[in-house]
Amino acid sequence: MRYTSFTSYDVVLLAQGLGVSLALFLTTTVIGLLLGTIWAVIRFYRVPVLSPLIAVLAELLKNSPVLVQLFLVFFGLPALLKINVTPVEAALITLSGNTAAFIYVIAVSAIESIGRDQIESARVFGLSRWQVLRHIIAPQAMAFAIGPLTGLLVNQLQVTSLISVIGVVDLTKIGNILNLRTLKPFIVWTIVGALYYATAKLVAFGGATLEKRLRAHSAWKGL
Amino acid sequence: MIRARGVRKSFGSAAVLDGIDLDVHGSEVVSILGSSGSGKSTLIRCMNGLEKLDAGSITIDDFDVSLPKDLAEARKRSATVFQLFNLYPHMTALQNVTLAPIQVLKRSRAEAEATARSLLDSVGLGARADAYPAQLSGGQRQRVGICRALAMNPRYLLLDEITSALDPEMTAEVLSILAQLAKTGTTMVFVTHEIEFARTISSRIVFLDKGQLVVDLPTEEFFAAEGGMARPRISQFLSKMRKD
Repeated sequence: MRYTSFTSYDVVLLAQGLGVSLALFLTTTVIGLLLGTIWAVIRFYRVPVLSPLIAVLAELLKNSPVLVQLFLVFFGLPALLKINVTPVEAALITLSGNTAAFIYVIAVSAIESIGRDQIESARVFGLSRWQVLRHIIAPQAMAFAIGPLTGLLVNQLQVTSLISVIGVVDLTKIGNILNLRTLKPFIVWTIVGALYYATAKLVAFGGATLEKRLRAHSAWKGL
Repeated sequence: MIRARGVRKSFGSAAVLDGIDLDVHGSEVVSILGSSGSGKSTLIRCMNGLEKLDAGSITIDDFDVSLPKDLAEARKRSATVFQLFNLYPHMTALQNVTLAPIQVLKRSRAEAEATARSLLDSVGLGARADAYPAQLSGGQRQRVGICRALAMNPRYLLLDEITSALDPEMTAEVLSILAQLAKTGTTMVFVTHEIEFARTISSRIVFLDKGQLVVDLPTEEFFAAEGGMARPRISQFLSKMRKD
């Protein structure tokens, strides 16, 4: 057997790489969702100082390349603060922040999409601002946001491939390693691409299923 | 009682309410008439705290609606029915009616649902309790809106042109419910264009013109030839409304 041929161990490698990519994707998605939603709620309550600060932060994160943010965290932070940042930590921080910024934007527009009239009637019936957010705005905003959110997450999944640049052994990095060993780029990158594709499809399917459930109140003919 | 004193409200340079004094006592049905833009709806929106007063005061059972800590109590005692229903579209008719009793009055779900079902039954919507607003006709939606208000067991019912978005048939179904309510002694402030109906259920008629309260008379007197009708502005308004 020549070193360029594929072995069954390569499947394990690919699975490991996929596992790392997925773990990073899921973790940063959860953190991003949490952060982005909290930021949007802070904006909803118009908290002084914090809300404008968050708006600026989100602007910065949205409008600069993820790769540059990644380099800033991985190379810039250690230089500035004299601390050690591992590749995985840098990836977690960067991707979470980036996802949070986009989720913040989606959440803000979702909250603003809810008709004023409903909010007014809920307030008149004595519901607090929090109860209005919880019972009137959140369920409808979620139904509104799930479409853009699914699109975002499918994109963020692909963005995780950037972290291979700073040495995280994710699916793309494994592809790189296999490619260098086997010298069969077309096969390796087709397989890696197919794995990303399958995962993205899974995310999209999950989003569509959730959307159907959240939109149950408008899911009939003529609407 | 609901007491308004010297209420002023303007939007930009336009004075919508220009010094309103009004008392509504328990078990009264007070209809507020006036042409569009006379400030009727704004007056209701000031009563339930949706608009801030520029000057003057409104109290509901001595709770001042411009004080945040009083407003909550004032809102518990009054309930509003809106022109465009303002139902929560993601909730069924039943959930629309039970939300505030459960969240604000802290009723148990079972208790709130039992009350809601009997209210929906009483307006002929017992079978539609699990329908979403978009599955209901306009008249049915407004009947849900009325149930939602009644579920709060309010002392005062504020009705803001509740039939203006409905066709005559649906208007009739909604008004018949109000007629029953009036008989039970529910206090109502009724902003409306339904002159004839206002005449049958009201104990008093108030006429607004350009943000001022120009007439406040018992219903009989308002429609009497020597009473409100003696005023050119009112007879002109009434003859115009009746022609439409």
